[in-house]
Amino acid sequence: MWLSDETVGRLQQIGTEPDLAGTKYRPVRELARGGMGTVWIAHDEELDREVALKVLRPELSTPEAAARMVREAKIVAALEHPGIIPVHDVGSLRDGRVFYAMKLVRGTTLEQFRESGPTRAEALRAFVRICEAVAFAHAHGVVHRDLKPGNVMVGPFGEVLVVDWGVAKLLRDAPQTISPSPPHDEHQTRDGTVVGTPGYMAPEQERGEISLVDERSDVFALGAILRFLLGEAPAPPPLASILGRAMHAQPESRYPGASTLADDVVRFLDGLPVSAHRESHLERLARWATRHRTLLSLIAAYLMARFLVFLWIDR
Amino acid sequence: MPFDPDTGIGGTAGRFPPTRATIVAGLRGGDASERDRAIDALASLYWKPLYKHVRIRWNRGNEDAKDLVQGFFAHAIGKEALEAYDPSQASFRTWIRLLFDRYLANETKSSSRLKRGGSQRALAFDEAERELARQAVDTSLPPDEMLYREWVRSLFSIAIERLRAESSERGRQTAFEVFHAYDVDRSEGERLSYADLAERFGVPETTITNHLSAMRRRFRETALETLREATASEQEFRAEARALFGRT
Amino acid sequence: MNKPLLGLLLGGILGVFDGLTAWFTPEVRPFIIGIVIGSTFKGMIAGVAAGWFARKVHSVPAGIVFGFAVGLLLAFAVAAMPSETGEHYYFEIMLPGSVLGAVVGWATQKYGQPAAAAQAA
Repeated sequence: MWLSDETVGRLQQIGTEPDLAGTKYRPVRELARGGMGTVWIAHDEELDREVALKVLRPELSTPEAAARMVREAKIVAALEHPGIIPVHDVGSLRDGRVFYAMKLVRGTTLEQFRESGPTRAEALRAFVRICEAVAFAHAHGVVHRDLKPGNVMVGPFGEVLVVDWGVAKLLRDAPQTISPSPPHDEHQTRDGTVVGTPGYMAPEQERGEISLVDERSDVFALGAILRFLLGEAPAPPPLASILGRAMHAQPESRYPGASTLADDVVRFLDGLPVSAHRESHLERLARWATRHRTLLSLIAAYLMARFLVFLWIDR
Repeated sequence: MPFDPDTGIGGTAGRFPPTRATIVAGLRGGDASERDRAIDALASLYWKPLYKHVRIRWNRGNEDAKDLVQGFFAHAIGKEALEAYDPSQASFRTWIRLLFDRYLANETKSSSRLKRGGSQRALAFDEAERELARQAVDTSLPPDEMLYREWVRSLFSIAIERLRAESSERGRQTAFEVFHAYDVDRSEGERLSYADLAERFGVPETTITNHLSAMRRRFRETALETLREATASEQEFRAEARALFGRT
Repeated sequence: MNKPLLGLLLGGILGVFDGLTAWFTPEVRPFIIGIVIGSTFKGMIAGVAAGWFARKVHSVPAGIVFGFAVGLLLAFAVAAMPSETGEHYYFEIMLPGSVLGAVVGWATQKYGQPAAAAQAA
């Protein structure tokens, strides 16, 4: 029997397919391959819907990795927020590999969202929603650590979903709403390990100073995402100051968390002064004029009317 | 949930009990018939890759190549050769390749007295020639890589044949045919939907997807069983399985 | 402050100033007191109307259009009354009057407590 190279490749692909016998899922196709797991589109036979199934990669199937996957699933499952991908289920395959099922996101990534040419206000509003989701995680003591445009999905109604919490870190001093079983703690990332994506990684992350990584490292990444969303065009001074503060090299000089960053962006959107920017009188006047442009046009219209009347009578 | 530290690609050790003894164990065994069976198994997996290897890498004519492959299985794989094999040094596949190359070198030096006779196997050399004619062999590949690709092809062919036999034994021919049509026979760019298959086999689409997932699962298991037989140790099996099904 | 009251005050203040502009037209300067009083009342009525409207409809453009229309209507009513000089100043009164109505319409939409919040407070 002759098998073409293509067939051999296909059969190898089939071999990587997770054996979902004994679960309520049936594999549909591979969606993405991450550092730790492969994400499959699977069909949930019971609920008759498609889900995204993250399965530990076979070659990484060690007890440590399995524990990490379970921990990741627990962390994300505890973060119930419209901006955070919901986890439905966790389980193990016949071969012992761990998997978890989450909502299958049918949107575009933030990269594609930017390609679609949103206005600055639309981009900023999407950004605020990203910040809100991250702030929610922060409030629950979870730092994402790998925020980047590829890890944010945008739905057809502008809703955003932060995905891939695979390298999320639990902050020790956070309220213990999520408690991973203590024995697994030793498998968590140690100092010297670099976790994140270049260009979106805070300097302390890049240096592998894991113990210094906290909410403010996510703030840095959010700043980088904001810069990405704003594109090439020069940002107005208040926005530039927001970027500068979010992406400051020193964590102490950044926004303390995602919500304060979001607040500043909202203030900018509302034409209010932002905390990151000390504005000149001229800037304040310009901002006031922009904010009250309807009133100013009405006053101008009145003055124009009076002037016309004056000319009329003069004749 | 307890995690078995040995949990790997093939599942927990012992999840797929080797139905047949491994080739290496058979070759090492004292029983002559057992050894014959092991050499048969070895030949069925390796003859085509080795034949192509000698035709392309050693640039030998097809008659020569036939004799060399036949001779190799008849004479070169003895108990003595096996004793020299150290699983910690090389994978069984690499070792077979080295053994074959050494055999070729020796035979080339004394080409006049090329060993004939011995047990001649029924090997479909014409088929191998036809394959060589239609396949674009990338000669820039390192010898081991080319051999590996042919070996995977061979391994999958055997697994599919075993699956076919098993399916007809269990009265699951339709399931096998569905798998064969969708995953094996489908050519590049061919648009074949589940609906097409449902129509062709006269079953509902859900049956098609059930057949496919069941057969794919059995294919994976069969391929891994075949692989296990062709490896010398559990460790090697894991490494090979990873390379086979875990690559990106 | 609730919206009708805001409209009343703002309309009145703007009406005073609008009336005072008559000082720039020498022919009517002698009647400026009457003009200012009339203009103030006109502004107050338009303001209350706009404030009432802003409680019912929450839309800045709609508020501006409503204020403009009310200002226009009231200005027409004023202009229709013959002045002391016996002349009608339709254009001179209606044009600025309607724009002032629009300003009050805008302001009552933008500022002042909506009815519900006022009750809660």
